[in-house]
Amino acid sequence: MAEMEVKSGGGHKKGPGVKKGKKLSTRVDLTPMVDLGFLLITFFIFTTTMSQPTSMNLAMPKDTDKPDEINKVKESGSLTLMLGKGNTIYYYFGNDPATMQTTGYKDLRKIILDKKKITPADDLFIIIKPDKDATYKNAVDVLDEMSINVINRYAMVDPTADEYSKIQATEKASGIQ
Amino acid sequence: MGRAKIKRGSTNVDMTAMCDVAFLLLSFFILTTKFKPEEAIEVIPPSSVSSKAATDKDAFKVSINKDGQVFIDMSEEMRGDVIKELAKERNLTFSPEDVKYFEQATFVGGPISQLNQFDRLNSEQIKATKLSGIPVDSANNELQAWISAAVQANLGTKINFYIKGDNSSKFPAFKAVIDAFKKNDIYKYNLVTNAEDVPEGTELYRKNILGEMGK
Repeated sequence: MAEMEVKSGGGHKKGPGVKKGKKLSTRVDLTPMVDLGFLLITFFIFTTTMSQPTSMNLAMPKDTDKPDEINKVKESGSLTLMLGKGNTIYYYFGNDPATMQTTGYKDLRKIILDKKKITPADDLFIIIKPDKDATYKNAVDVLDEMSINVINRYAMVDPTADEYSKIQATEKASGIQ
Repeated sequence: MGRAKIKRGSTNVDMTAMCDVAFLLLSFFILTTKFKPEEAIEVIPPSSVSSKAATDKDAFKVSINKDGQVFIDMSEEMRGDVIKELAKERNLTFSPEDVKYFEQATFVGGPISQLNQFDRLNSEQIKATKLSGIPVDSANNELQAWISAAVQANLGTKINFYIKGDNSSKFPAFKAVIDAFKKNDIYKYNLVTNAEDVPEGTELYRKNILGEMGK
């Protein structure tokens, strides 16, 4: 609404017969314009921050055949996470795949934290084994879980043939497609 | 004697100043916004709590789409050197025209044998064609050749290796990419992800808070 400023009363009277020069105000109501301005600002603020991709560091170990270069992991401190089909995780402590248990991504943090609590910090080692059916998201989620729970020692390796067949058998038994 | 007039304050506020500020900010945001370039390959990266921003400088980016196909994309300033190096390593010849087209192409979407043909496609034609991806199998690992060319062409400068994988791509595709990097003795990569908040109450959350207080 453009407002007109009409001077009310007062002012000097012009003589009779002299036409009143109507004075239109030049003031315009800027409220809608400001509204629009701020609307666009909010739009641009949101689009700038959202499209910024982040990156996550990943360091892989060097493949080596020399036995003295292989990192030794204490059996008491190791936790192996095998990532399978359909967002399931199979995990076991130590180096006995027979004790493998099944879990999902929601309970993973609790398992890691429980293990972390009962293990000396220097002994804790998490081995991540994504199998052929795991997705890239699964792998990144687990790596992310490592940084969320501040696990400093972890490695990503392939599951052994033995472990893979065990996962396959479990998946078949529980009907995961 | 007249009554004392009660002064009526106007409710109109002068909006000019506010309008000025609003549009100043608006122009600032419009100018600083960089819209995401439309990508021919559709990749939706997973999210992570990492807050390190991905840069475009000296970047060598490997993308994996949901079908497990691999594409590469690098910063413009290194493209010319990389293709010359690749030609040297593979005993190929690229005409100056080929090099020019390669520098303008947005990414590498197929085997080296089809490179020149691919570089001449415009973005609409790229969308219409079915991309074959860069071969990463062990028999013909061209990704490895590209990485090696990039490293050789940029000796002395640090290249940032980015891997951008799609959420639903299978792990073997990612592993093939990692293997190609490992063959070139590169063990450090950046995984491109979307930012996500650190879950409250976790150890990293506490660490971040302590870190901020210590500053």
